[in-house]
Amino acid sequence: MNTPPHVFSVRDLWKVFGPKADRVPGDAELGALDAAELRARTGCTAAVRDVSFDVRKGEVFVVMGLSGSGKSTLVRCLTRLIEPTSGEVTMDGEDVLAMNAGRLRELRRHRASMVFQHFGLLPHRSVLDNVAYGLEIQGMGRAERRERAAGVIAKVGLDGLESRRPGQLSGGQQQRVGLARALAVDPEVLLFDEPFSALDPLIRRDMQEEVVRLHREEGRTMVFITHDLNEALKLGDRIALMRDGRIVQLGTPEEIVGSPADDYVRDFVRDVPREQVVTVRAAMRPADSAESVSGPALAPDATVSEAIEAVVRTGETARVVEGGRCLGVVDHACLLGVVAGVPAVKEAV
Amino acid sequence: MTATASATPAAPLGTAGPAASLARHRTTLLLTGAAVLLVLGSVLVGHGAWPASLTVDLDGPLGDVSDWIIDNRDTHPLFLYFFGHLSNAVVLSVRGVYLVLLAAGWAGVTAAAGLIAWRVAGLRLAVTAVVAFLVCAVLGMWVPTMQTLALMVIAVLASVGLGAVLGLAAGLSDRVFRVLRPVLDTMQVMPAFAYLLPVVLVFGIGVPAAVLATVVYAAPPMARLTALGLRDADAGVMEAAASLGATGRQRLFTARLPLARRELLLGLNQTIMMALSMAVIASVIGAGGLGDRVYQALASVDVGAALAAGIPIVLLAVVLDRVTAAAGHRLGAAPRPGSARLGWAVAAAGTVVAAVVARTVASTGWPDGWTADITRPVNTAVGWMTDHLYSGVPVVGGTADWAGRFTTWVLDPVRDALQWLPWWAVLLLIAVLALLIGTWRTMLTAVLAMAAIGVLDVWDPALDTLSQVLAGVAVTLVAGFAVGIAASRSSRVEALLRPVLDVFQTMPQFVYLIPVVALFGVGRAPAVAAAVIYALPAVVRITTQGMNGVDPVTMESSRSLGATGFQQLLKVQLPLARPALLLAVNQGVVLVLAVVVIGGLVGGGSLGYSAVFGLAQGDLATGLVAGAAIVLLGLMLDRVTQPTRRRSGKGA
Repeated sequence: MNTPPHVFSVRDLWKVFGPKADRVPGDAELGALDAAELRARTGCTAAVRDVSFDVRKGEVFVVMGLSGSGKSTLVRCLTRLIEPTSGEVTMDGEDVLAMNAGRLRELRRHRASMVFQHFGLLPHRSVLDNVAYGLEIQGMGRAERRERAAGVIAKVGLDGLESRRPGQLSGGQQQRVGLARALAVDPEVLLFDEPFSALDPLIRRDMQEEVVRLHREEGRTMVFITHDLNEALKLGDRIALMRDGRIVQLGTPEEIVGSPADDYVRDFVRDVPREQVVTVRAAMRPADSAESVSGPALAPDATVSEAIEAVVRTGETARVVEGGRCLGVVDHACLLGVVAGVPAVKEAV
Repeated sequence: MTATASATPAAPLGTAGPAASLARHRTTLLLTGAAVLLVLGSVLVGHGAWPASLTVDLDGPLGDVSDWIIDNRDTHPLFLYFFGHLSNAVVLSVRGVYLVLLAAGWAGVTAAAGLIAWRVAGLRLAVTAVVAFLVCAVLGMWVPTMQTLALMVIAVLASVGLGAVLGLAAGLSDRVFRVLRPVLDTMQVMPAFAYLLPVVLVFGIGVPAAVLATVVYAAPPMARLTALGLRDADAGVMEAAASLGATGRQRLFTARLPLARRELLLGLNQTIMMALSMAVIASVIGAGGLGDRVYQALASVDVGAALAAGIPIVLLAVVLDRVTAAAGHRLGAAPRPGSARLGWAVAAAGTVVAAVVARTVASTGWPDGWTADITRPVNTAVGWMTDHLYSGVPVVGGTADWAGRFTTWVLDPVRDALQWLPWWAVLLLIAVLALLIGTWRTMLTAVLAMAAIGVLDVWDPALDTLSQVLAGVAVTLVAGFAVGIAASRSSRVEALLRPVLDVFQTMPQFVYLIPVVALFGVGRAPAVAAAVIYALPAVVRITTQGMNGVDPVTMESSRSLGATGFQQLLKVQLPLARPALLLAVNQGVVLVLAVVVIGGLVGGGSLGYSAVFGLAQGDLATGLVAGAAIVLLGLMLDRVTQPTRRRSGKGA
């Protein structure tokens, strides 16, 4: 029960585009229609349907879905870049939808900044001034904001490029500028809207590692939108999987991969290398007396692929140990069962 | 088996609804309808020009208005407290700038021009600017150049201010944009000449009228491009600014305006070029300066004097265009090392030093001994040309012979045919043409505009002007398409053409009259010739761009199917470049009309002459009616040839 406090709390959120959009959320009959029927009946498109979730302090909360699933609309509703049709959004207990323009600007200036898929950099400004842009909007003096910006630029690895224009940078470098701009205002939450989709695979991996590093160093809360399942699994502490505006499953990567909520999710995660997501805690079986004293020791949140390595190297069954106590063991059968996607048959041991 | 297979593709044709088949047979239906109406009309309505019973005589009322304005100009509060102040302010500011320019002297102005060009556009253009100003001085045209420049400075400042305000309003408000856009689009196709008469009516002939006509003519491109630039701002950047908590004002000044700076500079460039063009034409209503010298010289067919004043106009145009265009190209590049402020300080200091030094060493005026009079040698050359090339050249004939033959064999028959046609047949023709190319809406505007010309009782002169336009457009299109296609198929031709087109496109309309008068004398043929020369570059350029704009993949696939170059041109490039070619027609028509009307100054007759005559004789009623007819003719021609703007505009 000592879960960290919620940064964002979203309840029954709807965003409907189209004429007289506000009649759709309240209407159970309209709300039950699928996208094509709804459009035919009302001319409206429901981008976000009845979504509820909480973002805990310090976690990386990933919203994942294919294009058109409403994930980008959802993240924009958090800071009202898109005005939600109905529902409730609170940040640190404060009702975001009730904020006046000034209070909302304060939120955007100091508490939540966003990194965009297409960067959204100002082409006529240098890298330094782009990074300092958020501080400039806050009204900070030129010398002070430039000094702060220079510090952030060093943090994201753009030293030496301060006086370049965005047009002279590669895609990955531009997104580092976008990231630095968001970091410069030292926000409570970072919102990422498919930030790496436009980048080459290798650059994308670098940037993902950059985000992991930043999160480890600073522990800042992040809401991360992506259509890339591997990215979601790599970055997310928890993942909300969206389809047609609804969240179809919300859980840890392991829960999503290990126990898909429905056929859609199952289909989605079919090709995921499970051994890299599933932990030994889920794969272990109870130990008998001999096994609980010998063999390599693993932490419960070690992945199956780490366990495979240990088992192969020692040739013994690995123990799952927490606080000096043996919780269970993983052997060849348990581990292969995870890889094969079928539960291990206990009798075979 | 075979029967089923062959029947299948035919099925969709059979099942197509009546609407689809109507659309498919639109052309046939239109032509049939027109033919039926033609027969009906000839039986029922009969023959002849626009019936007198359908005209409205505006000479009387317009004359009264004009008289009333002249009588009340010094007493009525509207004039005393609004137009009077406006007029005084214009006169004072133009005078002020003029005095500053004179005080700076030739050395100061030339140094300033060179240094500004250096700061904005680099060393090469700085040299060009300096040379251009020195040539103006050498030709003995320093004072008129400064007069034109002073008028330009004020007119451009006012145009940019007015255009920016309108553009800002239209860029930020959808409602203003919807109202303003068609107005600006229409103003852009109006011949410059049409703007002169209304301002003269209010302000009388003189500098204020010239400046205001220039402002009205030159502000629309600024307004248009400002609005478009602001509306086209990258949505992603705007969202990013909003996500950082920017206020509306911060979004405008830190994001939306800077994002539009390319369009803003393009607007400035176009405004300056149009202002120069108009400042020269406005010599007809008392602008003074270089245009006035050309105007006076042309009136007495003194080609040498006209050229001496025309060359500075061209040089001014080239320098102004290149410098402002270069400023646009430099955007986006990293700033040069060194402080911008320091550079400008150097420029300012250099100007002051040059002015002071020249003043202490000599007087501010250009030394008399340094001028070269080109009037006499040019006139000698023209005289020789008149003697040897005008007529009787073996085989090819002389230029005057060409002009005469063009008049006899092309202009006269077209004019006579148009005037012979019954008035309703002309309207029908316009309607059919407009429907074939555009929509029923453009058709309606075109027919109404033409009918209004009839109502104004200028049917015959308008048809005369129309005949010149048609002849000019035909020549322009044949030559323009040929050259354009050649340029699109050979990069060498294009490379040769580009500098020529660049220079031709920057020259003010008025200047084109000088060489044609030298070659062909006065009359309708030279007016058409000037119009053709003026319109040709734009047509060539649009054609080339359209042909080069054809998707290379399509071209490659046709080549892979073994198409010959000619087949490619005929079956792929021309059909795909159709929108560009239609745009070229539209531009050609608009540009030819603009100059044909100005041709009234060199014996083009018809509407242009009536407008000039009205101005010269103070008979504003005649002039205004002619001006209105020019506007209506322009509207009609633009709408008839305006095919895709509305359809493609939907997506934009």
